[in-house]
Formats: sequence, structure tokens, C-alpha cells
Amino acid sequence: MATKSLVTRPSVRQGRVTPQQRELFAGLAFISPWIIGFLIFTAGPMVISLGLSLTDYDVLNPPEFVGFENYQRLFTDPRLGLSLANSFIYALLHVPSVIIVALGLALLLNRVGRAAGFFRTIFYLPSVTPAVAVATLWLWILNPRIGLVNQGLALLGMQGPGWTTDPVWIKPGIALMSLWAVGSTVILYLAALKNVPNELYEAARIDGANSWQQLLRITIPLISPTIFFTLIVNTIGALQIFTEVYTMFFGNMSSGAASSAGLFYNIYLFRQAFEFLRMGYASAMAWLLFFIILILTFIQLRVSKRWVYYEGS
Amino acid sequence: MINTGNDSVLQAQLREPAPRQPIRVRGTLIKAVFLFLLVLCTILFLAPFIWLVSASLKTRAEVFNNELLPNPVAWQNYIYVWQAAPMLTWLRNSLVVGVLASAAVTVSCSLIAFGFSYFRFRGRDTLFGLVLATMMLPGVVTMIPVFLVWRSLGQINTLTPLWASNLFGSAFYIFMIRQFYLGLPRELFEAARVDGASYFDLWRVIALPLTRTALIVVFIFEFKASWTDLVKPLIYLQNTNLFTLPLGLKSILDQFGQGGEMQWEVVLAASVIVTVPMIIIFFIGQRYFMDGIATTGIKG
Amino acid sequence: MSLKRFSVFLLVMALMFGVLAVSAQDVSGELSILGFNGTTGDEIATVRVDAVRAAYPDLTLNFTEGGLDEQQFLTAVAGGDPPDLVYMGRDVLSTYAVRGALMPLTECIANMDIDMSQYYDAAVAQVTVNGVVYGIPEFYNSIMMFINNEALADAGLTPADVNTSDWESISALNDALTRVDDTGAVTRIGFDPKLPEFLPLWAMANGASLLSEDGRTAQLNDPAVVEALEFAAGLHAAAGGRQAFMAFRDTWDFFGAENQMVADQLGAFPMEQWYMNVLAGGSPDVDITFAPFTDRQGNPISYVTGSTWAIPTGAANPEAACAFMKTITAPETWIAAATTRAEMRVADGAINTGVYTANRIADETIFSEVVAPIEIEAFANGVDTILSVQEDAFAIPANPAGSEFRQAWMDAVNRVLNGEQSAQEALDQAQMEAQAALDEAWAASE
Repeated sequence: MATKSLVTRPSVRQGRVTPQQRELFAGLAFISPWIIGFLIFTAGPMVISLGLSLTDYDVLNPPEFVGFENYQRLFTDPRLGLSLANSFIYALLHVPSVIIVALGLALLLNRVGRAAGFFRTIFYLPSVTPAVAVATLWLWILNPRIGLVNQGLALLGMQGPGWTTDPVWIKPGIALMSLWAVGSTVILYLAALKNVPNELYEAARIDGANSWQQLLRITIPLISPTIFFTLIVNTIGALQIFTEVYTMFFGNMSSGAASSAGLFYNIYLFRQAFEFLRMGYASAMAWLLFFIILILTFIQLRVSKRWVYYEGS
Repeated sequence: MINTGNDSVLQAQLREPAPRQPIRVRGTLIKAVFLFLLVLCTILFLAPFIWLVSASLKTRAEVFNNELLPNPVAWQNYIYVWQAAPMLTWLRNSLVVGVLASAAVTVSCSLIAFGFSYFRFRGRDTLFGLVLATMMLPGVVTMIPVFLVWRSLGQINTLTPLWASNLFGSAFYIFMIRQFYLGLPRELFEAARVDGASYFDLWRVIALPLTRTALIVVFIFEFKASWTDLVKPLIYLQNTNLFTLPLGLKSILDQFGQGGEMQWEVVLAASVIVTVPMIIIFFIGQRYFMDGIATTGIKG
Repeated sequence: MSLKRFSVFLLVMALMFGVLAVSAQDVSGELSILGFNGTTGDEIATVRVDAVRAAYPDLTLNFTEGGLDEQQFLTAVAGGDPPDLVYMGRDVLSTYAVRGALMPLTECIANMDIDMSQYYDAAVAQVTVNGVVYGIPEFYNSIMMFINNEALADAGLTPADVNTSDWESISALNDALTRVDDTGAVTRIGFDPKLPEFLPLWAMANGASLLSEDGRTAQLNDPAVVEALEFAAGLHAAAGGRQAFMAFRDTWDFFGAENQMVADQLGAFPMEQWYMNVLAGGSPDVDITFAPFTDRQGNPISYVTGSTWAIPTGAANPEAACAFMKTITAPETWIAAATTRAEMRVADGAINTGVYTANRIADETIFSEVVAPIEIEAFANGVDTILSVQEDAFAIPANPAGSEFRQAWMDAVNRVLNGEQSAQEALDQAQMEAQAALDEAWAASE
């Protein structure tokens, strides 16, 4: 392998190379694939993307410099605001519900002993199902008239909403679908719960704390780093939702109600780029998203200092 | 780091608070209630799968009747979809891309992570910080330029863009494998160095075998990610014979579903075909999936 | 084989040899074709592909099947690996043409001696941008009314009571035919306005076009368009609004034997003529009446859509692509395909409602000689209705913002149907979006 020769070369000329230099060369050789990849697939494209965002580019003709026009357009395009709002509303629905449901399931699993393994497997199954298949399936699970969800609600005497047809209910419908794939978060929480020392609960019991107080005072603070982790990861993921929505409502499909209520940020970006041939504008949109994610993560990090409990701090 | 056999610890914990009879009875009762709730949730989680399999075996007239069992059983849906679309070709493409993508990322990340853990040199931690920072970058920022890169290499409408960038590692997996390396005692390597092993040997003979579990986790998660991905195939593939299963399913949905011929039973049969291989792989590699998520928080 | 059929056969054979004679030019090599079901399609597709193969035996055809995905086509062209020939909707052709993604066909038409006057004018206009032809039209979809006699009888009415020129009477009809069960769920839709896709039809019925003739000025918030949308969208109310309407419509067996006309789930709707073929094939006994859709003055109108062939810039084998386009849309080829369909329908004991091409010459022969007189009066009337509205048809003028322009008005209609905006607000917004897209696209093309 090429790596080998690279790594061993310094040792041939031992006299000139200090051990530090040798470690440097060898270390760089090992990480060189990443450096190359970073330049070709991350840093280079970031520069190109920034450049493209200042142009009018339809891929078919050479880009044309337009200055900050695309960025100005971000602030006047009503659909951009709409798609951003849609993605935020979805994130607000999705993130808390995933955390609460996953925590609930993990707490249950944590109390049933060996059987937990079986249930854990079942809960994780939807997560290995390809998103396109999930979306195809849920288009029917959520069908207002014959879907399982509304049929189930009807059994309870409730009339279910138009999950796939009513603009108000499209985002809750997608959030509901996303809960089906809550499995990985459950497993993560379950692992965190198992690391909570049992003595703490015993001590609390002796102090007369009930289960609810134990949950609030011991369990949640102790697993708060994990909760925080899932909060960040799920927020970033939710803001970039694409495949499920694209499968359900876009492509060749007649989009209907989803054309505005289901127009999520990345869907709009994709359409601008590959359907309306506005690569420049799409690039500007991508940078706006990056900026928003940075700010959100920064805020979450700041706020987390108040509620996330780190051992030893 | 990987904890298996935690269940027995859990068992011990559960058995512990049993000195007095009433608590034990109460404990059993609570456990029964929890089990009942879990069974209820299990039914909720499985219901869509059951509906899917059942509906995929129904005739056009009955596909949405919501009966549990299809009657008559329309096996012909599966034969039909197999004939109407090159499912076998798509399956093969998905397998090829999945294996190449996973193998590439496993080997490259293992090498890179070794570079970031064993060696000590100036700027290493800054570079590693950069690795972590790239995880924050939304994929859409680089989507268009990366497309242009592959275009300049003449790789549009080939399977290459779907896996080849994995040869250069992937931030999250580098981070994860590095955690494993940091857990290995340094003396192990120093001893080998004294015996005259090259750096490459350190990685190949010592580091690689000791992190086998982690590498399997990386492999199957990347395989899953590749198997379920729609975006890259959507951008790079135009020739039907190059489609992977998710893109194939989307094209079947467009052709036979809404706005198309409304033969939903065919679409649903295709959905089952796309889903089943991954579920089989999941059952085979279940342990690694569970450990992988529990220890690293991979968003599965 | 009847004498008449035999004579058609002879005619077809003679014309085929004529094509062979023309093919003296060197047409060979490989031809990659995107977006056309050349091998898995119906007999209309396969017979014509076979005709091309017969005419050019040295040519190898490679099809990428399934409908054209616009994004897919774009990435193929941008990726520097375009197909030699592409099959797309005529409404989006101009988007690609003005950006230089398609080849002007001036040379192809001259070299291969393609007679553009044999195609319907409305279709040719759709593929002509700035006076240059970029596509060879394929199908020609027209619109007519599909009326469910059973539903009318149920309300004590006859098909003659359906008068699309009188909008008040459409409303009354819609109310009379809509059925809602005890639980409040709709069981029959009275009159489906086919929104959002048929907004251009309703606007034209009210005397307005969505776009100026030159394709430069959007007219989406013209009072007549606003009024048309208000009226057509209002028809959803009888069924309990858009939600109930859509959820119900999704469950129809649209292409099957138990379709919404047979199952009495729909009273009447304007629809493209290919759906008549679906009904004739799947449910020939359906109790149905076909009639022209009319504007408010009572004149029959139809909104034309259809597909076209085009050659991407950078195609490796443009000569072969040109020969392919000429042959596959030639009258004799269409007639051969229509004849095969006729024979297949006879063998199946089914009705043949013909095939509606963008080639006027082909249509004349097909409907005078190939399509046998239909015994079922309803379908015979259907065929006559379509033929009668073809020349009165209009199309949305060619414009370089094709998909974005369509998106603007489609979204506006959806917003109105969803109750998010009034027709005026929605179309005001659409007008702004569409005009901005048009201005930008025209500027880019000049």
C-alpha cells in the first residue's frame, strides 16, 4: 500500500529526521485521505458554493456575476419565508415529541428486565426501513378516509383530521410519521438510563421521594447530556427533512395541499436548483441554512449550561 | 466501551428491592402494567408493517379494505412488479453501492482515526476540531459544487459518486473509531515499536483487530445509510438500469401511484421488496446496531 | 379482414416502403432516448418503435423508460452526458430551449424534409420559441365533458341538462348530484372542476388567457381569471370542502373496472380524451355521455396538452434522432399503430376509440378508415366530440419560465382550495411570482 512506503520513508534517513518530525509525517500520512477528501468534497465546494451564490447560474450556461442579488432575494421571496417557517414548525413539533416519546419508552423498557431486548428490536425496526418506503406506506396510514390512524381514532369516537390533505395537519402528520422511527433515540436513552447508579435511587427512596420526584431529580439530570445530544442532532436533522416529504408530495406527484404547507426548506432549495435551474439562488439558500443552524446550535450550547448536568462539574 | 450483557446487571437491580413481600407484589404488578403498555406500543409499531404486507397481497379492488388477511391472496402483484420494473438490477446496484460505500468508509476512517489518536504532532487537535466542525455543515451547501466536481470527472450517471467520496473518510465515523483507539493502552503500541514494527503495522496488526467490533458497527451503519439514501441517486442517476432501490421505488410510486396508474398494490409490493433485505440484515447484525447506537448515538 | 381494412393495410405497407426509400441517408449507430416507454409501453408505442427499427435497421435504440423527470433531464444535460433524444411535455420545452439545452430543429426539418404543416397549429406553436422550432409534437390531448347518466337520472335530470356555458346551472347541477351519507362523508361528487390543473380551461371559458400571446406578460390576476377561479373552486364546497373532496377522490379506482363513473362516485367532469380510452377498455358498459366543454358564450373550447420530441444540445447522434422523430410521428407510422390497436380491440371484443395524434393527416385517416364505427353510441359520440373540438383548442403560449409559471398558478389554486387565501390574493401573488420568473427567463434568453 502507498501508505506504507510513505510512513516508512523517514526512518531510512534517520539521521536527519527528529522523532517529532517523524510522528508528524506519519500522522499526516495516515490522515491524508481525510485532508484530500476535505479539500475536494468540503472546503473546495464551500468556496465554489460561496462563489456561485453571487452568480446567476443555470448549469447550462456559464455563471454570470450578480453581486448580492441572490441574498437580497432571500429577504423578499415569500416562498422562502414560508419554507423556513414550515421547517421550523416541523422541528418544533418533531423534536420535543421524539424526546418525550423516546424517554417514555426507554423508562418503560428500563423496568421490564430481559424482555427489554425484544421490545427494543421491535421499536428499532422502522428505523432500518428506507425512508422512501416509510413515506409511501404512511401516505396510506395517514389517509384521512381509510388510513389506519383515522380508523383508529374513529374507534375511539374521534374524527381524525386530513393528515395528507389539510394544510394545517400536514406537518403534524409528518411529525407523527417521524415518531415511528423513534427507535434509535429510545436505545440511546435506555443505555444512558442503565448508567444511572442505582444507589442514587435507593438514597432517594430512603428520603421518601416518590417515582415522579426520582424521575425529575435524579433520572433526567443524570441523562441530560444524552438528552442534550439528541436535542441538537434532531433539531439539525428536522430542519433538513427532505426524503420523506419529497416522496410523499413531490416529484411527479400532484402536490395539492402540500405545495405550500409541505414546502420545506430543503425541498424548496432542491426545486430551485434542479427544477428552476437557479443554482446561484439555491447556493445562497444553502448558506442561509448553514448560518441558521450555527446560530441555533450556539444558542442551544449556551442554554444547555443551565440544565445539562456533567459529572465532575 | 461496548456494553453487552447489561441485561443481567439490570436483572440484578430489579431483584434487589425485594426484602419485604408487599413491595415485591407491588413491583410485580407495576412490571405487569409496564409490560402491558409495551405490548400496546409494540402493536402500534408493528401495525404499519402488517398493513403493508397485507395490502401488498391484495387485489386492486381490495387493497384499501383494511382487512387483516388478504382474500384472495394476490401473489401476482409481486410477479407483476418484478416484471414491470428491473427490481433485480436495482437490488444488485444497491448491494454494490452499499458494500463499496461501507468498505471504503470503514477502511479509510480506521486509518484516519489512527492518525488522529496514536500520533502526537502540532496542529493535530486543530485538525481534529475541523473534522468535527464539518459535521455541522448542511449537505445542501456542498451539494451543487460536489455535483460539479463529479461532472468534471465525467462520473454523472455512474454509480461512482454514490460511494467513492467514502474513500476519504467521514467525520462521524472518524470520531467514533478514534474514541475506541483512545481506549487502547499505549504500551501495546510502544512494545511493538521496540520490536521494529512500522507505523502501518501498528495499525494493521494491533489497532485493526482490537477495534473489530467498532468497524463492524461502522460498516453496517454505512450500509444502512447507503441502502436507504434517496438524495444522491436522485441527483446522479438518470439511467433506469443504474437506479438503486430507493430511487427505483420512487419511480414506481410516480409511475403506478398517485398521478400515475393508481395501481397501489404494485407500489406496496415494491415497498416490501425494498424493505425486506434491510430487515434481514438488521436481524443478523442486530447486536451491532444496538451497541452502535447505545455507545455513539449514531442517528440510526 | 374486410376489404376496407385490407386496403388500409396496403396503404400502410406502401407508405412504409416510402419511408424506407427516404432512409437513404446514413442513419446508424446508437440512439439513446430519455423519457419514453419504447419497450414497455402500449401497442401505440411499440408498433411505432418497430417501424423506426424497420426503417433504420442499422440503428440501435436505447430507451430510458418512465416519465421524464425534469431534474433528471437537466442533470443529464448539465452532466455533459445528454441523451440523443428526449420526450417531454410541450409545456416545459421552451424552458430548456431558451437556455440552449435543446437544438433548434431548423436544419433537421430542412434536411429530412419534415412537413410541419401536417401537425396541429396549436401543437406547433407550443414547440416554437422566438420563431424557431425546437420539437416535433407527438400526442394531442383535448378536453371534453364526461357525464354520468346514472347520477343524472338519480336526480331526475338528463344529460341535456348539463350546460357548461351557464355557470349558475353548473352550480345547481353540482348541488343536485352531490351525495353525502349520514356520517357526513361524501359518497358522490357532483361536478369535479379538475382543479388545479384545469384553471386555464376555466379562465378561457371566461374569456381570459393566463399568458399573453407572446409569452411575456402573465395575466393571472385578470378579473376574468379571478372570477373563473372563484367559481370553479366554489364547486368543492358542496362536497364539504377540499379535504373531504381529495380524501374521497384518492380512493377511486380511476383506471380500473370499478372506476368512479361505474361506481357512481362522480356526476360529471371535464377530462382529457385519453380517459375515454381508459373507460372503453376497462368498463365499456358504463352509462356515460360525452359533450364538448363550452365557454360562457356556448362555443366549444378545449385546452391542449401533449408531448413532444426534442434533441438535447450535445447529442451524439442528431441525424439519427431527427430521422427517429420524423418516422415515429409520420402519418403512416401512426396509422400502422392505430391499425394494430384496432385489430387488438377487435380480438378482445372491445371498443376502439382510436388514438389522438398531433398529426392532422394521421388523424384524418385513422378516424375515417382505421377506427371502425363504434356500436355503442356514447363512445361514438365521444370520438366525434373530440374530433370536433380539436381545431378550437388553445394552449398556454410558449414561454421560457415553463415549470415556474405553471407552479405559480397551480400553487395559487391550491391556496384557494385550502382556504388559505382568497382567489384575488392568491392570483395577485401568483402574478407577481410568474411575472418575475418570466422577466428573468426572457432576460436570460436574450
